Amino acid sequence: MSVLEIDSVSIHFGGIKALDNVSLRAGEWEIVGIIGPNGAGKTTLFNCITGFYQPTKGKVRYRGKNISKMPVHARTAMGIGRTFQNVGLVKGTTVLQNLVTAQHLQVAYDPWAGILGGPSTFAEERRVDDRARQILELLDLEEVRDARVADLPYGVLKRVEIAAVLATDPDLLLLDEPGSGLGPEEAHKLGDTLLSLRKEFGLTIVMIDHHVPLVTRVSDYMYCLNFGEVLAEGKPDDVRRHPEVVRAYMGEDPDQPDDTMVVQPEEEYV
Amino acid sequence: MTTTDETRSIPIVDDLTSEIPPVIDEEFTDESDEVEAFRPSKAGWFARGLVWAVLAWLVFAYPVNFFSPFNVGVSDADTASLAVIFAIVGLSLNVLLGYAGQISLGHQAFVGIGAFTSAYIVTDLKLSFWLAIAIAATFGAVQAAALGAISLRVSGLYFALVTLAYGTFAEEFLFGITALTGGEGGKPAPRPVAFADEYRYYFLCLGFLALVLWLDWRLTRTKAGRGLMALRENPRVASSYGINVKAYIMLAFVVSGLFAGIAGSLLAHHDEVIVGSRFNFQLALIFVLMTVVGGLRDRVGVVIGSVFFALLGSGKLVTMLNLGGFFEGVLGLPTEFVALVVGPILLLLTITKYPGGIGQQVAPIRVWLSGRRFDRHAGAVQEVEVNDVRA
Amino acid sequence: MILNELGIVLVTGVLQGSVYALVALGIVLVHRASGVFNFAQAEFGTVALFGAYAALTLWGWSYPMSLLFGLLLAVAMGLLTERFVIHPLRDHSRVTLLVGTAGVALAVIGLQFWQFNDTLIMSMPKIHDGFYVTPFGAPVSVQQMITVGVLVVVTVSLALFFRSPSGLAIQAAQQEPTAAELVGISVRQVSMATWAIAALLGGLAGVLSGPNTTFTAGFLTFGAGRALLPGFMAAVLAGMKSMPGAVIGGLVVGVVEQLGSLTVFVELPGARAAMLFVFLLGVLLVRPQGLFVGRAVAA
Repeated sequence: MSVLEIDSVSIHFGGIKALDNVSLRAGEWEIVGIIGPNGAGKTTLFNCITGFYQPTKGKVRYRGKNISKMPVHARTAMGIGRTFQNVGLVKGTTVLQNLVTAQHLQVAYDPWAGILGGPSTFAEERRVDDRARQILELLDLEEVRDARVADLPYGVLKRVEIAAVLATDPDLLLLDEPGSGLGPEEAHKLGDTLLSLRKEFGLTIVMIDHHVPLVTRVSDYMYCLNFGEVLAEGKPDDVRRHPEVVRAYMGEDPDQPDDTMVVQPEEEYV
Repeated sequence: MTTTDETRSIPIVDDLTSEIPPVIDEEFTDESDEVEAFRPSKAGWFARGLVWAVLAWLVFAYPVNFFSPFNVGVSDADTASLAVIFAIVGLSLNVLLGYAGQISLGHQAFVGIGAFTSAYIVTDLKLSFWLAIAIAATFGAVQAAALGAISLRVSGLYFALVTLAYGTFAEEFLFGITALTGGEGGKPAPRPVAFADEYRYYFLCLGFLALVLWLDWRLTRTKAGRGLMALRENPRVASSYGINVKAYIMLAFVVSGLFAGIAGSLLAHHDEVIVGSRFNFQLALIFVLMTVVGGLRDRVGVVIGSVFFALLGSGKLVTMLNLGGFFEGVLGLPTEFVALVVGPILLLLTITKYPGGIGQQVAPIRVWLSGRRFDRHAGAVQEVEVNDVRA
Repeated sequence: MILNELGIVLVTGVLQGSVYALVALGIVLVHRASGVFNFAQAEFGTVALFGAYAALTLWGWSYPMSLLFGLLLAVAMGLLTERFVIHPLRDHSRVTLLVGTAGVALAVIGLQFWQFNDTLIMSMPKIHDGFYVTPFGAPVSVQQMITVGVLVVVTVSLALFFRSPSGLAIQAAQQEPTAAELVGISVRQVSMATWAIAALLGGLAGVLSGPNTTFTAGFLTFGAGRALLPGFMAAVLAGMKSMPGAVIGGLVVGVVEQLGSLTVFVELPGARAAMLFVFLLGVLLVRPQGLFVGRAVAA
C-alpha cells in the first residue's frame, strides 16, 4: 500500500481547472519529485493533500484511508507534514517557540489541564522544550534558537522550517520548493540533508522544486506537471529528458536533449 | 506520458559530499550565548528587593490602611476593589483581543451577565456567594461560547459589529428583563458575611485576581496559549502544526467568558445593588481602551492599564494627584470628565506611537525586577497588532 | 389596528432611516477608499451639531450660517482624522485602524463633554417647526421631510459626481492606487477628499436629526440619536460597496428597528435593540455579501 495516493484529483475554481485528473503515488520511504513550470498546479496539489483545498473530483488517500474531507490539523495528526513556499513559521516569536508550538500534538496533557496548571504539565513542558532543543541541534541551528523568526535571513529560515516540520513527527513530508533561493552548492547540501533525514526518520518525502538537478538526484520517482495535468512521470532521468517536459520549460521542440540544456531550467526561478 | 511498471525500489544513497568543497554557510550568530548569564550584584539584589517590598506594600497594605502613614478611607478601599475588578476584566478582554485576535466591543455584556447571575442566585435563590460566583463564571463562559460560535462564521471586522449590536442588545433587552434584573431599581447583591467589610472585600477581589493571573499565566505557558498565539498570527501555519484553529478560538472565548463572569460577580457584590444601565456602551469602550493602552498580550501592562482607568474614571486618581484644581481651574474640565478626555488621547498615542502601551513602557522595569540586567529596549513592539484580518 | 401600526412603523422607519442612510453612505465611502470601518462616522454628525449649536445659541449667528459652520467643522474633523490617524496607520491592519477611529470618536466625545459641561442637555431649533399626522396616525415633521429631501439630493449628487472626471479619479484611486498614481491621480488627495465627503455626509446627519430631540455629548454614537450601529448595518446590507444599497439599507434598517415599537412588544423594553441584533445576525449569517451585491465575495 502506498503511503500517499492521489487518485484522479481535479480542482476547479470557478471556470479555472487548477488540477485536471492528476494521479500520483508515493511508496514507503520513497522520495518523489514534482517539477513543472510556475502555475502548473504543484502547490495547489500540495494544498489538496494537506487539506487547504478540497478536490472537486477524485480522492486523496493516506495509507489507504480517504482523507479528502479531513481538516488540516487532523492530517497533521495522521503524520502529514508540510513546508510552504513562503516559509511557514510563526514570525512574531522565537525559533525555539516555533519548535515547541509545532509539537502541539505530542504534548501529552489536555489544554484545560494546562490552564489549570497541574504538576504534570510542568514536567511535560520541560520534555517538549528539551525535544525542541534536540531537533535544533540535529539541524545545526542552536545559535538561532532564541532569535526572533522575523529577524532571521531567508536561508536560515528554510532550515528552521524543516526543523519545525520534523517536530510535528511526520511520516510523510511534503516540501514546497525547499531549494528556492539556494545556489547550486547549497542545493546540493540540501539534497544530502534530505537523504539523511529520510534514513534517520524513516520518512517518505514528496518535494516540489525548480532545481531540476536537485530533484533528479534525490528522487526515486518523478512527476512533471503542467497546466494542472501530469505531463510525464517515471524515473528521474527519463522524465527530465522527456520531450514534453523540455518543451514545457523551453517553449519549443529541442533537437537533442542533453544535460547542459536540461540544466537550464535553473534560470526559471528568480 | 511515460509510465513504468518496474517496482520502485530505494536506491543506495551515494555519498557525493566528499567531491564538493565545503560551503561556508551564512550563519546568523547570536552572541548572547557567549556571554555568561547575568547575575545582579549585592547592591543590585538589595535594590530589587526594596522595589518589590514597596510594590507589595502598595498592593497589600496601603489600600486597607495597614502599616501605613496615610489615611486611606473606606471609600478609597471601595475604589481599590473596583480597580482590581477592572483588572480582571482587562485580563478577560486581553485573552480575546490580545491572544486570540478577536474584537469584542460588547464586553460589558459578558461582565453584566456574570453580575446579574450572581445577584440572582444570592438574592432570589438564596444560595451561597461561592456557588453564585462559580455559576456566574460558567454563564459568562456559555454566553461567550455562543458568540464564539458566531465568530467562526462571521469574519473579523463584521464580528466587531456583531459584538457592538450584542452589547446594546444585552444592555437594553437582556438587562431590562425586570423579573431577572430588577429593572430600574436594580438587583440587590449582598456580600458574603465574612467579606462584607470594605477592606476584606478588597482582599477577596485580590484573591480572585491572583487566581485569574495564575490561570492566565498557565494559559500562555502551555499548549493552549501557544496555539492561540500561532493561530492569531497565521492560521494556516497553525493548522499545519496540528492546531485545531476553530476549537482553540472557542477555548479563548470560554476562558474570556469565565474571567468576565468572575469579574461580573465581584462587581455586583461590590456595588451591592447592581443596575442594568451600568453596562452601557461607554463601559465597553473603556474596557477596550484600558486593555489596548495597557498593552495587548502583556499581563502586567493590562493590569496597570485597567487599574489606571478605574482610578481615573472614578475621579480618585485626579484627587490623589491633587490635579483637580488644574483640570477644573485651568482647563475648565470637571474631574468626572477627565477620563473621557485623557482616555482617548492615550489610546490614540498608543496606537500611533507606543504600540506596546503601558506594558511596553514598564517592560524594562519588569525585566530588571526579575533579576536580569536593565534593558531599555525590552518588550519593544512594532504595532498594536490585533490580527491580520483583511475582511 | 395592526395595519395602522405597521403603517406607522413604515413611515417612522423610513424617516428615521434616512438619517441612517446618510451615515451609511459615509461608511461605505470610507470603506471603499481605505478599507476601514470608520467608527467615528456618527461623531462627524455630533460635531457638526455641536458646532451649529454653539454658533447659533452661544454666538448668535444666523441659522444658515450656523449650519454651514457646523458642517465645515465636521469636514475639518474628517480631514484631521485622515491626516493624524488614517494616513500614519495606512499600513497597519484593518483592526488597528478600526480601534483608531474608535479612539477618534471617543476623543471627540470627550471634547464635547469638556466644552459643554455646564449645559449637559442641549436643544436646537428645527429648520421648520411644522408637522403633519398621516391618516393612520404616523407623525411626520417637516424637519424629517427635509431630511429625506436632503438624502435624495445627496444621493443624486453623489451618483452624478462619481460619473464626473473627479469621481472617476476617486474610483480609480480606490481600485488601483498604483495605476492611478501613474496616470497622475494623487492617491493622498483622493483619500483626503473621501474623508471630507464622508464627514460632510455625517455632518448632515447630525444637523438634520439633532433638532428632533434634546441631545448631549456622543449624541449620534450612543446618545438619543444613535445612528452608528444602524448605519453600519445598512452598510453591511450594501455589501460595504454599493452607494444606492447604503440608502436603501438605511431605510430598511430604520423600518426593522421600528418593528420593535409595535404594541406587541410593549412589555419588552429594548425590543428595538433586540430587533437590530437579530437582524444583523441574520444578514451576516445568511447573506454576508449584502443584499445588493451580486456574487458572493469571500468574506
